[in-house]
Amino acid sequence: MKRLVLAFAALLALNQLSAQTLTDGLLMPKKDFCTGILFTTDQWKNYWEGSLKRDNQNIGTITTTQLTGMGAYGITDRLNVIAMVPYIKTSASGGTLTGLDGIQDLTIGLKYNFFKREISAGTFLSASGVGSFSTPLTNYTPDFLPLSIGLASTTLTGRLNINIKFANGLYINESTGYAWRSNVSLDRPSYFTDGNIYYTNQVWMPNQIISTYCVGYHKNAWQTEINLTQQNTLGGGDIRRQDMPFVSNRMNFLKLGIMGMYYLPKPQGLAVRAQVDYTLDGINVGQATTLTAGLFYTFHFAKKANQ
Amino acid sequence: MKKLYTLTTLLLTLLVIAPFSCKDITGGEELFPLTPTNVDANAGTWLPDITTSYPVFGLPAPAATNSAAYLAELANIKSIQSKLTTEQRKTIEYWSVGGVLRWNQVFRKLVAKYNLPPAPNADGSYPAPDAENPFNDPQFPFANPPYAARAYSYVSVAMYDALRAVWYYKDLYKSTRPDSPYEADNGIQALMPKIDLPPYPSEEATMSGAAAEMLKILFPASVEEITRLAADQRNAAKWAGKATDSDISAGLALGKAVATAMTANSTGLFTIPGVSGSSTTTLNVTLASRGRLRTDGIGNAIGTSAQWAALTDSAKVHLTKAGRDITNEIFWKSLDAPARPPMLPFFGNVAAWKMTKADITKERMAIAVPPSTSSQQMRDELAELKRYATNVTREQIAIGHKWADGAGTYAPPGHWNDIAEEYIRDAKFSEVRAARAFALLNMAMHDAAVACWHTKYYYFNPRPSQLDPSIKTTTGMPNFPSYVSGHSTFSAAAANVLSYLFPTKSIEFNAMAEEASLSRLYGAIHYRSDIEEGKKLGKKVGDYTVNFGQTDGAN
Repeated sequence: MKRLVLAFAALLALNQLSAQTLTDGLLMPKKDFCTGILFTTDQWKNYWEGSLKRDNQNIGTITTTQLTGMGAYGITDRLNVIAMVPYIKTSASGGTLTGLDGIQDLTIGLKYNFFKREISAGTFLSASGVGSFSTPLTNYTPDFLPLSIGLASTTLTGRLNINIKFANGLYINESTGYAWRSNVSLDRPSYFTDGNIYYTNQVWMPNQIISTYCVGYHKNAWQTEINLTQQNTLGGGDIRRQDMPFVSNRMNFLKLGIMGMYYLPKPQGLAVRAQVDYTLDGINVGQATTLTAGLFYTFHFAKKANQ
Repeated sequence: MKKLYTLTTLLLTLLVIAPFSCKDITGGEELFPLTPTNVDANAGTWLPDITTSYPVFGLPAPAATNSAAYLAELANIKSIQSKLTTEQRKTIEYWSVGGVLRWNQVFRKLVAKYNLPPAPNADGSYPAPDAENPFNDPQFPFANPPYAARAYSYVSVAMYDALRAVWYYKDLYKSTRPDSPYEADNGIQALMPKIDLPPYPSEEATMSGAAAEMLKILFPASVEEITRLAADQRNAAKWAGKATDSDISAGLALGKAVATAMTANSTGLFTIPGVSGSSTTTLNVTLASRGRLRTDGIGNAIGTSAQWAALTDSAKVHLTKAGRDITNEIFWKSLDAPARPPMLPFFGNVAAWKMTKADITKERMAIAVPPSTSSQQMRDELAELKRYATNVTREQIAIGHKWADGAGTYAPPGHWNDIAEEYIRDAKFSEVRAARAFALLNMAMHDAAVACWHTKYYYFNPRPSQLDPSIKTTTGMPNFPSYVSGHSTFSAAAANVLSYLFPTKSIEFNAMAEEASLSRLYGAIHYRSDIEEGKKLGKKVGDYTVNFGQTDGAN
């Protein structure tokens, strides 16, 4: 469950980068290539067992650190491709369970801006459609939650992003996505979830709706933003009393994030960012605090041609 | 070039879409309508697992086939069959694979549902599951491995005993009611496979009665689901044209009577009714002793805090008796946080099925005394575990998880029932022979639990992570002493019995048992000696049940 929180924290993080994310309203110009590295550390001690908030000394505090490499490229001014791969490492401060680590899932997304209009002087309304695909790159186990590095489900996500940018630098983003999640395979021949026993190693994964809302300010070298992310899982069972989490649990959360980004004057194209996320409410997830630091560099391959 | 591009796009699209094209989970294990290779008509003469003499049930003869009552029952089936709903046909289909296999799946589900330890109180203590308040938190029972082993064995033995009683009475009354409804009346269809046995009493009804009565005591909070399933099974037999109301009421009374004999908490006369539609069968059964379930000692298996505190001292006495210098010996401590009382420390005193207390002691003495916690052997074994903990491979994690069968699952004995199910299905055993197979398997695993738990608490040996906290595990840490491994004991006993039942598959069973045993080493929760000696103990325990099986008259 932690990993989901993380993965989406990462998405959320990317989301705020101007013109290079899956959930914002902006696009990078043609032949711009932005590459970045994000370091994320995420911790939780309390979690929701179903809707019951509790802690558990047998795991103590769960810490997940993540190093994500990402890249975004402007195929045209209206079409961007974005990709990312995280390396994840988990650990528990209590109990005897071991942490795990490894390369997790590759995500590739295409964003197409199909609408952009100046609705009043300097105020732009734009809308983009995003399709993204994510799949495990390694054969990690999803059946050791909360210490698994991921859920090992191949996911197709469709998103609609709407963005309003005002002349004074204020902007509003709204993005809603629907994620189709493939079945996952366990290493065991049977499992119990949501009131039933299944005599198979295949697990049906409920689909998800993920929405993010943000209000931000971006002018000159500074960008700052506050955002809310809501994940709703459309089915799945709850963690039973004193049970471990299970891969297909109904994992829902509402997270609040604050992000700041600074585009360095020199060398040009370099940007740094920092973000804090906090889980306000959830079901079958940890109440995580997530810190993200990122470094980005943008190459303008089209510069010469433009001149 | 353009073609290549199109082809690549198409291929990529397919690759992306493929994982989503078929998301439906079928629920697993496929079972097929049961047509036994041999109906085992003489099963009423097989030796019982418990002392049950069928005539004591006094099941009356059925009404004559030309009686008005019986003809009305046949007419009732015809009327029902003329307007069967899809839902009813599904119920028939569900139960036509054989009641023994279906109920076995249900036992496993119930164990998985209740195999969760109580959550701690705010003050670090733990509440105890309460049989009088089973819907509470913590739910009752906590179906941990020994509890599960015992539960599987009781239900399996009750099913087997009840079915042997059915076979006895089918034979006794075969001339009074020789034909199944679909044979007695041309207008009745056989919607389950035809089986060449007299219909009175109905085996489906007996299974429903025996299973439901046992399960309602073992898993009282699931009474609704159990009752519904039992009624479904009886309905399926009737709707399928396999049994009339009087076949069913007789079978139901018989099944309930067998369960009563096993679970009665008092002695004397019991009036046991079986009702189906317009037919009622009443059995008057006099029981001279309380049921085995009430007198096997399970009530004392948990113990008291004073008894828990004395476990270390008694282990010191045992090791001293074995000639061990105990000055620096380290004994088991709970690694749960907060520390949890040990799991069923006196389960080793619970009555076994095919072993006496003296047998249990004898087999414990036949295996090694665990290495001293300060010995070179223990240091070597710890070093081996440290290697697994540090360098575990993905394949070893998979083996560990495949066999973990920890909290929230059907437990190791359930896994072996799961394995046995497919072999029993493929062998097309009659219901009574299938019930015998599960009874033998589960009696052996219950006895394995008794012998293993006896040994664990006799020596009270610490887990690897207690001796070296830097050993982190890829599977949950069980809350009971290390020596000997429960997985190894259960698996060796199960493989032994299954090898007896399916001799040509012996190599497969032993390979599975070996893998299950090693899974605990890969998970870094058991020393190699726990595993090696556990396998020896399990094999020996299994021999007792196999010896019984060889002479029970079923071969």
